[in-house]
Amino acid sequence: MATSIINADKSVIATHKKKKKKWQSYALLFILPSFILYTLFVIVPTVGSIYLSFTSWDGISSDVRYIGFANFVEIWNSPRVHNALKNTMVMTISLVLLENIAAIALAMMVDKVRWFRNLFRSVFYFPTLLSGIVMGFVWSMILNYNFGVFNQILDRIGLGSYIVDWLGNPKYAMISIILSTAWKGAGYYMIIYLAGLQGIPQELNEAASIDGANGRQQFRHITFPLLAGSMTVCLVLSMISALKIFDQIAVMTDGGPGFETETLTYIIYKVGFGELRQGFGTALAMVLFLIILIITVIQVKFLQKREVQL
Amino acid sequence: MTMQTRRRIAEISLFLITLIVAILFFFPIFYNLMSAFKSNAEIMRDAVAFPKTLYLDSFKYLLTETEFPRAILNSLILTGVSIVAQVLIIPMAGYAIERRNVRWTRFIFVYFLAGMMIPFQAYMIPLFKELRMLGLYGNLAGPIFIYVAGAVGFGCLLYTSFVKGIPREIEEAAEIDGCSRYGIFWKIVFPLLGPVTASMVVLNGLGIWNDFLMPMLVLPSGEAKTMVVEIYRYIGEFSSRWDMIFAGTAMSVMPVLIVFISLQKYFVKGIASGATKG
Repeated sequence: MATSIINADKSVIATHKKKKKKWQSYALLFILPSFILYTLFVIVPTVGSIYLSFTSWDGISSDVRYIGFANFVEIWNSPRVHNALKNTMVMTISLVLLENIAAIALAMMVDKVRWFRNLFRSVFYFPTLLSGIVMGFVWSMILNYNFGVFNQILDRIGLGSYIVDWLGNPKYAMISIILSTAWKGAGYYMIIYLAGLQGIPQELNEAASIDGANGRQQFRHITFPLLAGSMTVCLVLSMISALKIFDQIAVMTDGGPGFETETLTYIIYKVGFGELRQGFGTALAMVLFLIILIITVIQVKFLQKREVQL
Repeated sequence: MTMQTRRRIAEISLFLITLIVAILFFFPIFYNLMSAFKSNAEIMRDAVAFPKTLYLDSFKYLLTETEFPRAILNSLILTGVSIVAQVLIIPMAGYAIERRNVRWTRFIFVYFLAGMMIPFQAYMIPLFKELRMLGLYGNLAGPIFIYVAGAVGFGCLLYTSFVKGIPREIEEAAEIDGCSRYGIFWKIVFPLLGPVTASMVVLNGLGIWNDFLMPMLVLPSGEAKTMVVEIYRYIGEFSSRWDMIFAGTAMSVMPVLIVFISLQKYFVKGIASGATKG
């Protein structure tokens, strides 16, 4: 009797072990396809980039010559790269500020408005779903010097003296790209802020208004601090996407006039595929990767501190 | 003025402001769709005016005289096949990582997430070379593999966080009934993940539909590539034929509009959950 219980016990343990083992092989089987594809088409080429960044490869020939840190020395000294870095910085900072301010404003509008709330939300959000190439083209038509809507409207309302070539004039090309990109991006962050706003309990604002706080004070001391969680996410996401902006530049200015709107991502493409200096291109790509890595780590570390937990 | 009328005025003025901002916001899209139905001369003469007649010649021209139909087909195949492949491959990995929580799966998870930080530009040049070596350059298979690989990081993040919310008891019951892990996942867990899958499908699907740089580099030159790439090429080639390009952009925007209107909730859900879980 006793032995049969022990035996039964043993068999339970045995099947349990078998089950675990079975699970293990399943887990492996379930993960393997993702693992293989991801390794093959993301990690291997990234490691390849690190290697190529130390060569003078042109992208076509089999002549892949190791040249040490020469590419990085050139990056350090090249005025064109400095210009691209400066443009990237200007674009990133202005886009992050603009998109987030606009997104918070839009989110508050959608949150407070009484009629057609869902329709408004959709209208603000919809541009984010479209291709940067397509909307970049539409914007370059709107801003076209001779036939564009924008200049035509300026002319009609008596502001004809403000007509300029928005994309061809070095002074305005950058701002035109920034504004049209912000138009396309803001709705995405609006959705995140909106989720944040709707998570703030109504009682807090009611209590504050009973205590005599006006709208601005309520925003400053209740809404804003409680949005910090959404803000961490939005700042990181908007900064990374601003660093990667490519389509709009390709279609609106092609990096010009001159090198006025050439950014880091654009110079990587131009150097790698236009000028066939892929070794140098990958070295630039490593710089971009490093910047994104550093920003992500810093932002997540730094901004999490000021998040307010409810 | 009573409190109530004051509140009423505030409500109405907020509504009006929102309405104006919304109209300005929607204008570029409206302008795009409207211009597609105007002749070139009409667009040049008065960009703001409504089309006088429904001018369809640019659509006809694009669909019969150019390689645009081929580009549409390529876009559809690329988007469709990549999305199906993503759904077949990624949820399984997310599920296994979450349910079998041991050291090596945790390591794999971090390894996958790291990919979210790597920008495409950082690996595009060697990727190009690699595709050539594997014989995947110049056909649609290459981009499909790249899209699936690129979605692994975010997809796993999304799926692990949702699988967590599914009670294990259901799976245990199925296991006692003799169901294999494979069957448990596809018959029981996967249907419960429907909303996440829908979000991933719409968001990634649009990303692929709109993608530009990768298909431009990877698909064979001299042939139609994808819609977006083809539009980009026309912008360079037919720079004075705005009507034609507008017809092309309208054809790329309209399906997005239709999908968005019919599947709205999944877009918003996908972003909100992705953002807060991430």
